Amino acid sequence: MSEKDLSYSHCRQNDTFYPFASLRLCARPVWFRFVRVRVLFFLICWLSMFTSFCFAEKDQTWQGHDEVEAHELDRMVYEERQLTESGPAERPSNLKIAQVKDSQETSEGSDPWEDEEEEIDSIYDPLEPMNRAFFQFNDKLYFWVLKPVATGYSAVVPELGRVCIRNFFSNLVMPIRAISCLLQGKFEALGIVLVRFVVNSSAGFLGFQDVAKQALDFPIQDEDLGQVFAFYGIGPGFYLDLPFLGPYSIRDAVGWGGGLFINPFDYVVNFWPNVGIRVYDIVNKTSLRIGDYEAMKEAAIDPYVALRDAYYQYRLHLIER
Amino acid sequence: MVCKYFLMIPLFIFMTLIIAGSSMAGKPTEDVRETTDKLIAIVSDPAMKTSDMAAERARRIREAVDERFDWREMSKRTLARHWKERSDREKEEFIDLFGMLMERTYLDRVEGYSGEKVLYVGERVDGKYGIVVVKIVTKKDTEILVKYKLKNKGGEWLAYDISIQGVSLVNNYRKQFSSIMTRSSYEDLVKKLKAKVEKE
Repeated sequence: MSEKDLSYSHCRQNDTFYPFASLRLCARPVWFRFVRVRVLFFLICWLSMFTSFCFAEKDQTWQGHDEVEAHELDRMVYEERQLTESGPAERPSNLKIAQVKDSQETSEGSDPWEDEEEEIDSIYDPLEPMNRAFFQFNDKLYFWVLKPVATGYSAVVPELGRVCIRNFFSNLVMPIRAISCLLQGKFEALGIVLVRFVVNSSAGFLGFQDVAKQALDFPIQDEDLGQVFAFYGIGPGFYLDLPFLGPYSIRDAVGWGGGLFINPFDYVVNFWPNVGIRVYDIVNKTSLRIGDYEAMKEAAIDPYVALRDAYYQYRLHLIER
Repeated sequence: MVCKYFLMIPLFIFMTLIIAGSSMAGKPTEDVRETTDKLIAIVSDPAMKTSDMAAERARRIREAVDERFDWREMSKRTLARHWKERSDREKEEFIDLFGMLMERTYLDRVEGYSGEKVLYVGERVDGKYGIVVVKIVTKKDTEILVKYKLKNKGGEWLAYDISIQGVSLVNNYRKQFSSIMTRSSYEDLVKKLKAKVEKE
């Protein structure tokens, strides 16, 4: 092959090599002739691209944190202040004095805890006797069946494998998260969900590895239909402790049921294999969390109420995010 | 001339990055960090892992936890409106019992420590009140968000509530206590607390 055959051969000037010269049709700005300036130009271009990339990524994660924290913390501090110091609302002038005074005096001097307060922030539970019975059932189910099975399973499968399997199953239910994000108008979260799915399904070996989390710092977006209902102003209804399924509010139970219709996975797999897969998923997840339930029960005076409230608070936490 | 402008762009971006990156940890975070580091040091000390040192280890953990938590403030919030109905002696008794219960709970959780990373994510101070946000990254790749609610008492920041993944401990106990008290009585609650604490 002679030099004449190369497409850029007509662009050779002063024996300097320009690989993409033909694209520019040999028309370059005047300053391009000075090599140092040219190098500097490219350097600056790359540098600014690189930094802007870093900036964009950092910006996303940090801002997300800061905004959520700032809003949340503000509210919490405000609530605490209401709880401990403000006292009755009709005495605004006392507010300042109360803040200056020692905490112990003020807390005993005013009556910050009103009766309604306890009613508002707990879930309605009219079916308590039934729920307590099912709570006992689930408790026994855990200690007699689930825990022994999960312990045996964890003796066979190493922890790393179990984490991978957990990731694989959580990657499969992506459509529920995506649709929930979409319905709530959380487009940023929707983007993260989709990118996560694509990246983890390909680079993460069918979702066994959570590459998106490790490499891109895209955390899992915990969204479901129950949160969508809450977003549109539907309250939790009342509390249910369902056998096998555990604690739910009416709203979230409906959301869970709806999730069964959204996920393409459930249309592909037949009923009994699907149940088997779900049970396996639960055993796998439980094997990674042995000890948590015991600790909760150990710390509680009334485990049923403790679980009910923990569930309620956790759902609120997810909804507010 | 053109170069100068091009040079300024990345410089400017770098500057903003540096400014955005520097988060200053204040006194509350320092206090929480101090206690956490102390606890981690106790728990991961190989000399303390032997069975005859178990009691000493527990005692040291209790001590460290005691320093950081304000049991009085916590008890007050968990009993809520029932707090005022109690006499001073009952209050003291309750604070002791609740403190012991919390120590036990905390002890169990700390004992299970196995090299989890503790990241200090955020802090906010508003007058006497402060919140320190901590993220615990477990070996199983899960993140647990923990919030310490603190109150400034004589320059020292003492915790009066911890919330784990949005579940506030004080709220949780308040529901339990009020449920028990509406069902039976305060005496019954104390009896149950005592039974729980004494059961080793």
